[in-house]
Amino acid sequence: MNDKKYTKRNQSNSNSDMVNLVNNLDQKTDLKYNRRAFLKTAAGASVALGVATLPLSVRTLVGAFEDDSDHVEIVKLSELPKGSSVKFNYPTEEDSALLVHTKSGELKAYNNACTHLMCPVFYEEKEEVLLCPCHKGYFDLNNGQPIAGPPQRELPLIEVEVINGVVYAVDRKYRHG
Amino acid sequence: MGKKICWIIIFITLAMNVVMLQFTVHSYLGRESNQVYVYSGVAVISGMSTVITYLIWRKKEYNENA
Ligand code: FES
Repeated sequence: MNDKKYTKRNQSNSNSDMVNLVNNLDQKTDLKYNRRAFLKTAAGASVALGVATLPLSVRTLVGAFEDDSDHVEIVKLSELPKGSSVKFNYPTEEDSALLVHTKSGELKAYNNACTHLMCPVFYEEKEEVLLCPCHKGYFDLNNGQPIAGPPQRELPLIEVEVINGVVYAVDRKYRHG
Repeated sequence: MGKKICWIIIFITLAMNVVMLQFTVHSYLGRESNQVYVYSGVAVISGMSTVITYLIWRKKEYNENA
């Protein structure tokens, strides 16, 4: 087969069967269809992402009707000397929490599931910090913020009130300080 | 509205929704309900604009060839 013949054979709309076999691969339309598919995928993804936020809204809406601001009795203040701590559960029985009476006489309460991997956090009296023994996580006693180790988020803060010498938990805040 | 603008709008809304989803999850975990509603509202509106823009684009794209 000489060169000249070869070129001729390769022109589109030739009668050669071998050429017509690949005639359906037209680059221009190919590109067009691909572009269309790409745009459709992008549009679909955008809608899917938008819809994906809805369940969170609904769950928040449902949660908003649950009242977790009840007063829950924790302990009598006289039974909790300065520099000691007591465990309690708030707002439900499954949420374990820690109330600390600091050496300076303040009351600090947090849910004590470590924000790293949920290990219980302890009050370390000597240095006045909250310590998670699992991976050596430290939290600031004054605001529940992580100060060292793996935890990245603060401990949920529980607001307390003292009424007639009894400490009550009244509310919980997830983000604070 | 040209087809190119449709493309741009769809990609802007897509990018916006990625960010909004991230924001919504974040405020959901922080129990900041007001922000959850705002972000997810924005995400839904942006998703609806995607659909409308897509329909406009489709009309143009396929009319051309008809
Ligand atoms: S679980 Fe608390 S530091 Fe890892």
